[in-house]
Amino acid sequence: MNKQMIIAGLKARPVRTTVSILAVALEVILILVVVGLTSGISDETGRRTEGVGADILLQPPNSSLFLALSNTTMPITLRDKLRELPGIKAVSPVQTLVNSSAGLEIIYGIEPDTFNAVSNGFIWHKGRLFNTPDEVVVDDIYAKSKGVTVGDNVELVNHKFKVSGVVEHGKGARLFVSLKTAQEMTGQTGKASLFFIKLNDSDRVQTTIAEIKRLLEGYGVIPLREYAKLMMSNNMPALDAFISSVVFIALCIGVLVIFLSMYTTITERTREIGILRSLGASKKFIVTLIFQESAAVCCAGALIGIGSSFVIAKTITAVFPTLTILITADWIGKAAVFAVLSGIIGSLYPSLKAAKQDPVEALAYE
Amino acid sequence: MKTLLETADLRKTYRVGKIEIEALRGVDLRIREGELVAIMGPSGCGKSTLMHVLGAMTKPTAGKVFIDGQEISGMSDNELTGIRRDRIGFVFQKFNLLPTLTARGNIEIARYIHGQGASNRHDEHLREILQLLMIEAKMERRPSELSGGEQQRVAIARAVANKPAILLADEPTGSLDSKNSEVVLNMFRELNRRFKQTIILVTHNPELVAFTDRLIEMRDGVIVSDNDSLSWETESEMAQPARSV
Repeated sequence: MNKQMIIAGLKARPVRTTVSILAVALEVILILVVVGLTSGISDETGRRTEGVGADILLQPPNSSLFLALSNTTMPITLRDKLRELPGIKAVSPVQTLVNSSAGLEIIYGIEPDTFNAVSNGFIWHKGRLFNTPDEVVVDDIYAKSKGVTVGDNVELVNHKFKVSGVVEHGKGARLFVSLKTAQEMTGQTGKASLFFIKLNDSDRVQTTIAEIKRLLEGYGVIPLREYAKLMMSNNMPALDAFISSVVFIALCIGVLVIFLSMYTTITERTREIGILRSLGASKKFIVTLIFQESAAVCCAGALIGIGSSFVIAKTITAVFPTLTILITADWIGKAAVFAVLSGIIGSLYPSLKAAKQDPVEALAYE
Repeated sequence: MKTLLETADLRKTYRVGKIEIEALRGVDLRIREGELVAIMGPSGCGKSTLMHVLGAMTKPTAGKVFIDGQEISGMSDNELTGIRRDRIGFVFQKFNLLPTLTARGNIEIARYIHGQGASNRHDEHLREILQLLMIEAKMERRPSELSGGEQQRVAIARAVANKPAILLADEPTGSLDSKNSEVVLNMFRELNRRFKQTIILVTHNPELVAFTDRLIEMRDGVIVSDNDSLSWETESEMAQPARSV
């Protein structure tokens, strides 16, 4: 019978019910897409960096995990010192630069020989490695998103480059130029932003890290196998704070919409509430009824929001292939919980107000 | 016949802004089980207020109210809600059906609130009521699809579905034409005769009096006349419920 009343109540005001459901759906979409985008980008960046195939990443002191956000560099001669350590198979210096003309794109300036030694080489789709300072190799996802192929020109960091080759994605950056070119463009001749280090035996990672730390005190030395994990939000306070802010704003939207919806509902249905009270419905019955109505709205909103998030994610990645939106089961659960929570909080005051109404006054309400 | 409803020096005062309005100024009343009583008086005489107090919708300012020997005047809001749920049925001038439910839904919500399961005994009683009120064919319609008379009959069915001790009707024909009024009043009489339902009709319309057994007249918050045919001294020889205070 309660279910009948709830459905009847929601159907009686179809526009308001629909708007409330959509607002809750928006709350869920905001959480899932924004969190998914930030998680996706950092997760994907982490995986691509892991995908280089190195065992250890060496960064200068005070560097950011977001490789492109670091201005600090190291002397390239460190490569020779590192090679002297036992168990080192290859050391590849990389100078990173950022192209911000259309989004944020990281460019690796590499030594092809050492990079191949560390990464086991690129998987080529088309073309060849760069031969001149104004040539660039791009990955397949970049090529698809920008609609470029071998022989096309691209503008990066106010420089014109010709695409010499297209490679399989997943080896750190999406764009590769020669190390010398990158050093000249950043004014960091003889320097590198980071070193990828490959070992003869991957089981010796921790031992080698300890040796490097002894040799280079204060430098960032990271086992690359854990890089993606390090990029997760709970290991990055700033990202964590951003996500928490988004969730809080989304929750506030949900609470306010449900509050407004339920408040106008109980005002319009004052007489109905009076009728129920005259029939002997307790205050608890009235509160429960309002809660159940808002829970129904929030559940419907959550379901639509979750479905829509997947659609939106797919659409965004189709339009912008370089973006990754990671919608996890964990966050789907959290978003659903937040949706219902916003319903409970938003309907608390209206339901208590409804229950407190004097039955005689409520029946006389026009 | 046992006393079902009794008041002693019942008073009710409302505050409207800074003004105090004494709606009931010492009402002493006794209603027996199975009576069909009309409480009549001009607008503003306090009859609706009396009905609200008798129906446990509001508390008196002073005095006592007993339903079946149990004093309700000092009860909490939750306890009064329980009294309304278990002992009282209401019929209002404006029908007060829930617009989003069908006629059947309106009756079922009352049973749901009362905690009734779908037991055969109650269904049989309900079937008899629906037959008497001639609304069986209208049960799947919403109030907006029913005439005034039909709506009031659904309201009556809702009010008596849980076999309340007392049925209170506040101006039950106030929104009906004369033909429908007569139909509804005849149904009250039939409910009283066939099911021994105790009914109190509150009205300002003298024509209703013909359908009732007893007339209580009110003016300015007090009872001015009561044509009760049985004397209460005679009643003292009959079984009286002990008052629980």
